[in-house]
Amino acid sequence: MNQALLFQKLRLRLLRNSWRAMTQQSSMRPLTILLCSAIVWTFIFAISWGGFLFLHTEVGVPLTGEIVGILLDLLFLSLAVLLVFSSGLILYGSLFASPETAFLLSSPVAVDQVFAYKFQGAVAFSSWAFLLLGTPILIAYGLVCEAAWYFYVLLPLFFLGFVLLPGALGGLAALLIVNYVPKRRKQVLSVCLTVLVLVLAGWLYRMVQAAPTELWREEMREAVTRLLSYFQFTRNPLAPSHWVSLGLRRVVRGEIGAALYYLALVWSNGLFLYVIAAAASTRLYRRGYNRMTTGGDLQRFPVLFRGRNHKPAMDNGRLPLAAVGKENHRESWMDYLLYAVLVFVNPRTRLLLIKDFRTFRRDPQQWGQVLAFCGLMLLYFANIRRFVEDVSGPYQNSISFLNLCAVALLLCTYTGRFVYPMLSLEGRRFWILGLLPLKREQLLWGKFAFSMTGGCLIAGGLILVSDLMLLMPAPPILLHLLTVVVLAAGLSGLSVGLGACMPNFRERDPSKIAAGFGGTLNLVAGLLFLLLILGLMAVPWHMEAYLTMMPFLSDRKSEVALLSEGFIGAGVVLGLLAGIACVVLPLRAGIRALREMEF
Amino acid sequence: MIKLDHVSKKYGAKMAVQDLSLDIAAGELFAFLGPNGAGKTTTIKMLCGLLFPTSGAVSIGGYDLRRDGDRARQLLSYVPDQPFLYEKLTGREFLQFIADMYGLPRAQSASRIAEMIELFELHEFIDDLTERYSHGMRQRTVFAAALVHEPRVLIVDEPTVGLDPHSVRRLKDLLRRQADRGTTVFLSSHSLDVVEELADRIAIIEHGRLVACGTLTALREQAAVDGPLEDVFLTLTRPVEDKVTKP
Repeated sequence: MNQALLFQKLRLRLLRNSWRAMTQQSSMRPLTILLCSAIVWTFIFAISWGGFLFLHTEVGVPLTGEIVGILLDLLFLSLAVLLVFSSGLILYGSLFASPETAFLLSSPVAVDQVFAYKFQGAVAFSSWAFLLLGTPILIAYGLVCEAAWYFYVLLPLFFLGFVLLPGALGGLAALLIVNYVPKRRKQVLSVCLTVLVLVLAGWLYRMVQAAPTELWREEMREAVTRLLSYFQFTRNPLAPSHWVSLGLRRVVRGEIGAALYYLALVWSNGLFLYVIAAAASTRLYRRGYNRMTTGGDLQRFPVLFRGRNHKPAMDNGRLPLAAVGKENHRESWMDYLLYAVLVFVNPRTRLLLIKDFRTFRRDPQQWGQVLAFCGLMLLYFANIRRFVEDVSGPYQNSISFLNLCAVALLLCTYTGRFVYPMLSLEGRRFWILGLLPLKREQLLWGKFAFSMTGGCLIAGGLILVSDLMLLMPAPPILLHLLTVVVLAAGLSGLSVGLGACMPNFRERDPSKIAAGFGGTLNLVAGLLFLLLILGLMAVPWHMEAYLTMMPFLSDRKSEVALLSEGFIGAGVVLGLLAGIACVVLPLRAGIRALREMEF
Repeated sequence: MIKLDHVSKKYGAKMAVQDLSLDIAAGELFAFLGPNGAGKTTTIKMLCGLLFPTSGAVSIGGYDLRRDGDRARQLLSYVPDQPFLYEKLTGREFLQFIADMYGLPRAQSASRIAEMIELFELHEFIDDLTERYSHGMRQRTVFAAALVHEPRVLIVDEPTVGLDPHSVRRLKDLLRRQADRGTTVFLSSHSLDVVEELADRIAIIEHGRLVACGTLTALREQAAVDGPLEDVFLTLTRPVEDKVTKP
């Protein structure tokens, strides 16, 4: 049998069997996944549809013109950058670190066929999010533009051709890094991520600095046009993202010939780059595997308690300084900091937390994402006054609330993506933790403390910067900080508790654990909790602030204030109770599950 | 059938295998012994083409693994110490995948799979997903997959770990039978009793160097020990200072 067909058959069988196993275990699981996906899809579709309609009817922006073109350019360029990184990382993992690799490489299968099989899997896995997040935007665009039927036929073809390019680039990068810098591959990745974040931050800063501060006073269309002129770099005629954007706009205009030209351009370049990557794999894949296995990561990171005679001992609950060798000082200051910050946690549990922290910070895939999101958010908060000259009144009120929502969403993503998989990642080594001379509930409380501390520090810091930049008065700042603490506690409780109730010890990839059934359920529960807490704790104050600014209520301010104070007080109490419930109930369930767990 | 010609392999600055030369004939059951970290698994991975020698050459059935790797791998089967199975395939689907991968015609693959199911007594669970298999069931399935395409070379790394006595007996019979049929069996194991019972020739490697190679009788002579293989192995791999003080 043809080897390419053989792998397609394998993939179909694996998918079919996985689906059967999932539906046999519980029909709720696929239903929940489908339902959640449908809700997210519909939400994005509604927002996009409203947005395009607003641009078209209210602002008067032509939907096939340059402004929307720049927005589409930016969408596809961002997608391309994300796909290069995500497919590169997934390909690196599946080509070099998966247990399947040794099995396939010791068989007589041609190496480029193995690469093709892994490439298809990586591109499909890394770009599925686009289907969920990108298609509603583009379908809404087509509907508002009243595009012909062939727009919806050509849309997936453009997308499929386009994902080949970043996928092949990511694959090539993975092959080259493993072949030529096998000892420094993690560092190279860290540098690439840092450079990307810095470039993005620099560009955002320049854009913000140059943005017209009178944006909200001028003619809206003119101001939008001027602001979007800072996105000109996305319109490079050699950028494939620009070809897709141009092609789709041509389809909408009914210029089918021009659209097909861009489609052909995207596909021919995508296939060409893929052929280069596949050809490179015939020379570099086995060589890279050999390099990585034998000449690769031989470097040993300094570890706090490691050493010939070091033992993980404690000195009356303090970090055992004597155990730290000279060569470790530069690496371990963060451990000291965490150890000091977590002073309220049992010393034994604290040592486990330091282990989790080390695992986290030594994996650039993990902290790179947190750094990127936090950095961008911080940059936006720090420059918020560039956008809004007058930070009093309704702008101050609504922007501070929106910023709180954004920070809450970041917190929800952080706990869902990083905290939920923590227990599952113990994997088959879980018996080591199970045999430790400490109560199993301490494990969960420890992970909860780790998550809550990290969440409070990150989200608290961000919201503080935002509120200070918006010159918010002290009471709402304190209220926002309290909201963030309750959110951090509740979301941590949910993620740690549900993570213990539904562990997945087979999977080693945290993103796959987070994307699984338990992870999805945790995300949905987290979002509901987030809405509840924001509704109870933050909305009453912001509503009061909004209502007191209404001219028709100017003579009834005292009544509004009195009523609102009651709502604010009750909201805070209810929010605190909901937060406590969201810590206690999931953690109790998790502790029960952990006690009964056999390993 | 298997030839290693002055093979050396470096891991960074560390020499994992040094100037190793072996020539193993067809139908021979060859045991490869050594303490932990001696270079056994590295040697096996070079035999499968997973790793490349830093110097020297490895060939299987006359095919050089660097130049004609795919042809060489067509002749061999490798059963690692931690074998891989697709968790979401049934045992039968996995066997079919292996048969297809080695290019067996449909009719031949069907009869070979049936033979393997019979030989390894897989009937009860062959149509279950492999994620539900116990260690013994997995091991039997992996051996069935390794033999389904009738390899000329069978490379086995630590096959007896975690198996019950019945399974070990069955495995020993299988390896012996394979060698008698002309398959070259390259067995790496710490189970010295199994090796003593089965091996035609034994090689002992220590710190990447071949310290002994020959029949059990030859090894006994070299070690000047007239006892079980365990005594011979311990004598030949004893640290140098021990050899000086305890002749």
